[in-house]
Amino acid sequence: MLSVKHLHLKHALQTVCTLEAVILRSFGPEGGQVLFTRDTGQAMLSCSGTQILKALRLEHPLARMVVECVWKHSAVTGDGSKTFVLLLASILRLIHAAASKAPGVSQWSTEAAEAATARHLADKLLAFAMTELDDLICVSVAPHGFCVSSEDFTTKTQLPSCPNGFCVQALLSSFFHTRLDYVHCDFLSGLACELLGHWKFQNDTLSFALQFLNDNFPALHTQVSGFPVSSSHVIEGQVIHRDFATPCLQVNNQPVKAVVVTEYLQPKLLRRGDMLDLGCGGRVTGEKSIIPFSAWTERSLESVIATLQSLGVSVLLCAVKQSAAALALAAQAEMCLVECVSEEELSLFVRLSGVAPISDCWMIQPENVATLTFCKPIQLGAHRYVHVAFCDSEERVGVKPCSLVICGSGEVQTEQYASAFQDAIRMLFTTWEPTRMTETTALKKPVQSHQCTSLNAHNLTEDTVCRSSDVYVLKPGCVIPAGGTFEFLLHHALLQHGRSCSASNYTNTGVGVSQILADALLTVPRQIYSHNLKSFLQTQTRVTSFTSNQPHHFMLLKNARGTTEDPEKGDEPSKLFTLDSGLESVSCKHQLLLAVLQCLTSLLRVNAVVRTHTALHSASHTHAKMSEESADDETED
Amino acid sequence: MALNGDEEDFEWEPPSEAEMKVIQARRERQDKISKLMGDYLLKGYKMLGECCDLCGTILLQDKQQKNYCVSCQELDSDIDKDNPALNAQAALSQVRERQLAAQSPPPPHAPQLNGGASSSQSGGTVPQPRPEHCEGAAAGGRALLPPPVAPTPAAPAAATTLAPSRPPVSPQSSTLRPVLQEAEEAVLTKLRWATTQLQSSASLETSIQLCSLITSCASSLRSLKELSQ
Repeated sequence: MLSVKHLHLKHALQTVCTLEAVILRSFGPEGGQVLFTRDTGQAMLSCSGTQILKALRLEHPLARMVVECVWKHSAVTGDGSKTFVLLLASILRLIHAAASKAPGVSQWSTEAAEAATARHLADKLLAFAMTELDDLICVSVAPHGFCVSSEDFTTKTQLPSCPNGFCVQALLSSFFHTRLDYVHCDFLSGLACELLGHWKFQNDTLSFALQFLNDNFPALHTQVSGFPVSSSHVIEGQVIHRDFATPCLQVNNQPVKAVVVTEYLQPKLLRRGDMLDLGCGGRVTGEKSIIPFSAWTERSLESVIATLQSLGVSVLLCAVKQSAAALALAAQAEMCLVECVSEEELSLFVRLSGVAPISDCWMIQPENVATLTFCKPIQLGAHRYVHVAFCDSEERVGVKPCSLVICGSGEVQTEQYASAFQDAIRMLFTTWEPTRMTETTALKKPVQSHQCTSLNAHNLTEDTVCRSSDVYVLKPGCVIPAGGTFEFLLHHALLQHGRSCSASNYTNTGVGVSQILADALLTVPRQIYSHNLKSFLQTQTRVTSFTSNQPHHFMLLKNARGTTEDPEKGDEPSKLFTLDSGLESVSCKHQLLLAVLQCLTSLLRVNAVVRTHTALHSASHTHAKMSEESADDETED
Repeated sequence: MALNGDEEDFEWEPPSEAEMKVIQARRERQDKISKLMGDYLLKGYKMLGECCDLCGTILLQDKQQKNYCVSCQELDSDIDKDNPALNAQAALSQVRERQLAAQSPPPPHAPQLNGGASSSQSGGTVPQPRPEHCEGAAAGGRALLPPPVAPTPAAPAAATTLAPSRPPVSPQSSTLRPVLQEAEEAVLTKLRWATTQLQSSASLETSIQLCSLITSCASSLRSLKELSQ
């Protein structure tokens, strides 16, 4: 008999508020770090929201769902996991308050009615965010931002064309400041810029390089523990995280030829499940023994090695463990063999060298042979690895493949720095990703006049017809000062939008969704400045004074140019930026809001938990005893 | 926000002052519960998928597989504070309500918190309905008007919670005598006990404490004697 437990709005609220209480003290620039200790005695300091949440022991299905959402969001954008939980908690609280205060829901109401109201509000919020939020951000928030140039990765003091401090390194520096400590953020951001500078393909956009780096990051970095962070550096070529299986006789940096082998060089004698049929094939010797077979395999191995030697190959990179005979023969032929190379590293090698791996050892073509500038052992920390460098090829003009050596004092710290690096790359990728026109934005344009989507209904002096051909698209690379500026600007814009909507028409549904979102957004700067209320008020005043000074500037510029882009008032950042303010990416924040609202709707749709006794999804769930389903609502509105 | 059309069935009015206070108190309690649960999670407790039967809070489990409910076992209970059998404050307010409701002599009972050795205030007053934080008193206070108060010094605010409440100074001294005599006897018994303990005690600390007990018993007796005169 399956046991069914009904969940109510208060369970969701309690779960999310508990998770908020967990991350609250680590939030913000003055947040602390959490010290984790394992039973083995291993300790780790972290202020990454994802790591903290994943380390908790949670069996409650709603809590696990929220942590999963946070993790997935962080895997895409690399940042904002604590802000996610904070926003989720504040929106849920506001919805809970609105649902219990709504007319028709008095103290005699059932919990089901409250839950239905909450779900309805959440759906409306999500619909609003999908259709109108990006326009709001483009119109009201982005003009106060600044588009960072992606052309140059030099340090901030050396850049003449771009105003002091507004370049990629500044963005990375503020990111590392929030994720790691203050001491090393400049150094690490410089390192990241150096890496990006080497990898940027000249004719392609930055986002292509960033995507490549993100996909191949595990193969492009080496973690070395036992050294200070400042020993981290960028090295040329690729580091293969294996040692040579045969002695490497090469001492000079000479060009070598290499092949990639994915199968066994010597046909395996007997694998599990194989059946060897002896004595067949027309031989009339009458003797059934395995010796002819093994002799044959040795002969085939010798011929393979001879072919490789004739092609001048001296390095073999193998995906599997070769037999002892293969190793011996390779050593005899003075070939270096590397075994058990991981799939990612091999695919990266294949991509960078432009050759195809050998799948059939009897058919080795010249296309399988790659030329390397050098291939030698390298000692990094306590391990010895293989270091290869590629010759320049026509495909990658101007790109010098290089990888990162990340040092840290302990294994755990090094891993943290490595994950911070990867998250930085993801964050940059989200910032520079070209905005996709979603189906909703494309479809809504013709029906604009029928809905209350007129953002500047009061400000727009001309006909709305010409707006229907406009596309509000956020330019890639748009950043804004950190410290709550985005939240203040969007709060202001949402309040104005709410006022214009309710003044102009019909869908006045009591508690407006823009009001809920506007109130919820303010919790972020409140938490940032929780130690210093005066700064909160000062920042709020400063930001609001900017929004009131320039209401029509944007529209006037647009009319003059007649273009459809989002202008940035020339190349100068607005006065909102101060020299010591950090930078944050606008598209990351936008994605964060969308992700929070989607998580909220799925959270509120769950209203029953069914305990099963068998595993439903063995791949994704570790505790397979619980599953969740959203049952239909018993009472209709 | 509900889209139902039966709004005329429920006339929704904004919550009153007392209800707002209750809502506010409940919200603060929920925040406290969340904060405590967050702290326990960081300490390594596991958040279970079950709720407590009594209060509906999510249960936690420690490393020894013992279940733990934060609100039942750690915070003061929301409803226990209104139960007169468990809370002296609630008992006091219940006594006051009864006095307000019926103008008859109140039950000669005062919850003795300190074993009879507490100093008592000599101000005999008519206890006034003070704004209490429990719903019972609020409901009681709303229902009745307070009787005209005798011009006596105002009842001591905080000390009354520890001191036994005194019966009002009203022309009913016949009921006063036995009460005072009982009180005197109780204090004398304690005094006798403390004296015997003092004679046999060997440690310095105990002797000091017994002496202070005797001092307070003596002062109680003195005030009782003054009251009976």
